[in-house]
Amino acid sequence: MNKSVVKSSSMPIVEMAKIAIVTSLYVVITAMLAVISFGAIQLRLSEMLNYLALYHKRYVYAVTLGVVIVNFMSPTWALDVPIGGVSTFLVLILCRAVTKNMENEIMKIAITAVIFAFSMFTVAGQLTLMLDLPFFHTWLIVGLGELLSMTIGGIVIYFLSKKIDLSR
Amino acid sequence: MNNTLIIGQYVPGNSVVHRLDPRTKITIIFFFVIIVFFANSFWSYAVLTLFGLLSMFASKVPIRFVMKGLMPIWFLIVFTFLLHLFINKDGILLLEWSFIKIYTGGVIQGIAISMRFFLLILITSLLTLTTTPIAITDAVEQILHPLKKIKFPVHELALMMSISLRFIPTLLQETDKISKAQASRGVDFRTGPVKERLKAVIPLLVPLFVSAFKRAEELAMAMEARGYQGGEGRTKLRELKISKLDIWIYILFICVIIGLFLTRNYG
Repeated sequence: MNKSVVKSSSMPIVEMAKIAIVTSLYVVITAMLAVISFGAIQLRLSEMLNYLALYHKRYVYAVTLGVVIVNFMSPTWALDVPIGGVSTFLVLILCRAVTKNMENEIMKIAITAVIFAFSMFTVAGQLTLMLDLPFFHTWLIVGLGELLSMTIGGIVIYFLSKKIDLSR
Repeated sequence: MNNTLIIGQYVPGNSVVHRLDPRTKITIIFFFVIIVFFANSFWSYAVLTLFGLLSMFASKVPIRFVMKGLMPIWFLIVFTFLLHLFINKDGILLLEWSFIKIYTGGVIQGIAISMRFFLLILITSLLTLTTTPIAITDAVEQILHPLKKIKFPVHELALMMSISLRFIPTLLQETDKISKAQASRGVDFRTGPVKERLKAVIPLLVPLFVSAFKRAEELAMAMEARGYQGGEGRTKLRELKISKLDIWIYILFICVIIGLFLTRNYG
């Protein structure tokens, strides 16, 4: 009998397709709905997609890949891609682990928002490295901005989860 | 349709930089980003600037495309320059007006930091301006290949990136269509109270998610029907090859690194 030289993939095709399409969705939402401004307040709507990881493990990969692709379009991709990609992946894993046994969906969203805001030390570190900005001030400002974006994004994703089963 | 972020980056061409293997470009840019932090003198910055400008001219990419990359962050560069200008108190006092004092140290540090940032953007922009996203994906797969030894799903990752890049224009059109359909029903995304505008986003996202999941299921079915099997042993549609040109560029870059370290602390 002829033995195939092609080893089959370790991940089911449906899962790969779903991850890939949600990755595209991440990039599209970032591009099309990049910023919704309310006067001086700027909300990055794509931040809400970080919450998807709470509903299914596949979104950890989808969001991370989305961040990698979006960051490749940044003028400072050489720092943004590795730092953004790795930190997003780790923070999403952490959020899933921390909220694993929680029943209350709003609590899960709130904890995730706080973890993401706290994790902005990576962005602050990057800005400190590139522009010699004061680390703690930058962390505070970037972290507060992220917390605001994540809070508003959390409200959107909460209502979205009531309309679609995101865990399927 | 706002698709400049994704599609508008790549500028087609046949320049020296376009013809380079994407792995060469990624490797050189990666190391450039590291060595730029070692520049600490006028001449060391001059060496890096010369390399950056040479690369840009060799790429034959119109300067306006590079400047477009700078546009979203020029404010950050100016802010950083001013910050260093006002807080650095080293050197000779150049200007004093009310409580504002400007020293030579502040001017030098402001220029150095702005220059560093400008060089980073100039060089890193060249990758996305001269390489198609699919070629970048192929290069990333090859660069990450050694991670297969620790069972990292490199092929799957590259495949998912390729699929998602393929579907970005399709989903962009879909989003545009849905938002126009919702707008024609009176949904307003731009004005009104925060609560109302957030509510307006939901009718846009629901059909978008539903259609994306549907597409994913159809795609998976199509792949399975064609007997797709990933992993080792598959041949490639696009083969990457290191040419003599790549070797010469590596040699030139090594000369730049040597030049940088020889000129550190001079001038």
